[in-house]
Amino acid sequence: MSGNAVALTIVIIMFVVVTLVGFAAARWRQAEDRLHLNEWGLGGRGFGIFITWFLLGGDIYTAYTFIAVPALVYGVGALGFFAVPYTIVVFPIVFVFAPRLWSVSRVHGYITPADFVRGRYGSHGLALAVAITGILATMPYIALQLVGIQAVLTVLGVHGDWPLVIAFVVLAGYTFVSGLRAPALIAFIKDTLIYVMIIVAIVYIPEKLGGWSHIFSTAGAHLAQINPKTGKPFGSLTVGPTAVWAYSSLALGSALALFMYPHAVTGVLASRRRYAIRFNTAILPAYTLMLGFIALLGYMALAAPGVPQAVQANGANAQLAVPFLFQKMFPPWFAGIAYSAIVIGALVPAAIMSIAAANLFTRNIYKEYFNPDASPAQQTRVAQAVSLVVKLGALIFVLALSKTFSINLQLLGGIWILQTFPAIVIGLYTRWFHHWALIAGWAVAMIYGTITAYNTPAAGVPGSHFGGSTANVPLLNHTVYIALTALVINLVVAAVLTGVLRLAKIPAGVDETLRGHYLADPPGLRRARVPITRMTVGKP
Amino acid sequence: MAQHRAPSKHVGTWTVITVLLAAALIGTLWVPFYNDLTPVLGGFPFFYWYQLLWVPIVAILAAAAYLLSRRAERGNGNAANDQVLEQDEQEANVR
Repeated sequence: MSGNAVALTIVIIMFVVVTLVGFAAARWRQAEDRLHLNEWGLGGRGFGIFITWFLLGGDIYTAYTFIAVPALVYGVGALGFFAVPYTIVVFPIVFVFAPRLWSVSRVHGYITPADFVRGRYGSHGLALAVAITGILATMPYIALQLVGIQAVLTVLGVHGDWPLVIAFVVLAGYTFVSGLRAPALIAFIKDTLIYVMIIVAIVYIPEKLGGWSHIFSTAGAHLAQINPKTGKPFGSLTVGPTAVWAYSSLALGSALALFMYPHAVTGVLASRRRYAIRFNTAILPAYTLMLGFIALLGYMALAAPGVPQAVQANGANAQLAVPFLFQKMFPPWFAGIAYSAIVIGALVPAAIMSIAAANLFTRNIYKEYFNPDASPAQQTRVAQAVSLVVKLGALIFVLALSKTFSINLQLLGGIWILQTFPAIVIGLYTRWFHHWALIAGWAVAMIYGTITAYNTPAAGVPGSHFGGSTANVPLLNHTVYIALTALVINLVVAAVLTGVLRLAKIPAGVDETLRGHYLADPPGLRRARVPITRMTVGKP
Repeated sequence: MAQHRAPSKHVGTWTVITVLLAAALIGTLWVPFYNDLTPVLGGFPFFYWYQLLWVPIVAILAAAAYLLSRRAERGNGNAANDQVLEQDEQEANVR
């Protein structure tokens, strides 16, 4: 058996194990009315500190972390390291606003961010804008998970699209049956594999490559070479003077955006107690530390003999850097474990994301506009069906578009989702903004962000589109993450129009929330659990 | 809805929490603080070990903020809690 065959066999075995766990998860911690959307979509709102940790960690550890961030570090150096301050500052931000969102959602039974916006502003239009943005921004994010799986399969010598289709059909199957319980349970396996993989990688690979000093100096030498496309060096080990603003704005913008994604909100709302969220901001940085070292795998790939050549031979696709690094450094069986970690690490977030997008569609579009009298059971069935459609959409996305394109669209996802920040986060604190002004600010920022991203060419390829996520800000004369610039425009438009609408005395809509609702901390849902021994299989 | 305790009682605690959390934001987002190769630590240029060092620091800051916030929030939103428990009760009775 060749090395690749050994690694591939291990990946397949791990995939089968995860599939069995995924289907079995339907019977884990189950309540009586399993067809309530609270159950399928939020795991019964019964997750404690520990499971919340895994679930929220799943939002941070995705194929983006594993494949895209090291690829960026591999390609441009220090700038790609923005993912570290990003996943540091996200926790203070979550600490401040997430408990308020949890409390008000618990009091009013909100399942999605759009539910909250509708209740807070009494505005169907604003809720629809938030829902559509959430679904739109999630699709390319799921697609990126597929790109990660594809990178592993490419290095393993598996070609064609059918393995990817199989993986996704199976994923869709157990998400359909088990809802949020499937990714929550698989997250245990995923994180164990990831921690094992990364700890071995940061001890074993530097040892083999001659130490960290050697890795940094070799990587620095590689990055200092002139890129023939741009006539400038590929990158450097520190942030260049023109990229300082880009670095911090990418970190801050990404951190503000992360918990606007519907799947991240799902992770917050599925927690049993309010304090579990804040407690988690103290233990989630364990993920950040690992992420920092995963980012440095990009430098190890630059310093590992044979890896840059292999990447070059495969169309200079930097996303292959980490899979090739594992192939060249690890014995085949451990490479198999590491690849399994990446594949499962892509499947779990994909499941969580599709469930969240399905919740959004069901609650805020289907129930709102198509069937206002939908029973909880009907809602769950629609959500199950939509989770399939969302994944199918993501699959088509990947099969139809080029890889680089989908990575750049993921950055576009961040630009879009951040525009719901004023309605959601500022809405948690004040009703000062008028809902029509928020809709206008959102619309202007969405258009600005999309057009600016469209007009951003890839480095060294003039006339190309969606080639980056930072752009020059005219008055400031610095390069800044487009999402953040758009957010500022969003806020200015919303503030000015709110002033105008208030002067014109346009009604501001009914707010169904009260001050105390944002601080509520009730104990967990009291619900009868069906003992696992008495479960009947399959039939709801 | 009336709150059982006015938040103003805990202004000092919330100020400390804000300072703790703001420190993490400033320390990591202000690039000029750390955009250097030296001093090197264990083979890591300053740029890298400085930012990685902030990870355990933010965990400690968040833990401290968590403990402070639990103390400050004790008894908050009691009325809302009763409302939620009543809802749960009703739902349970319907079944």
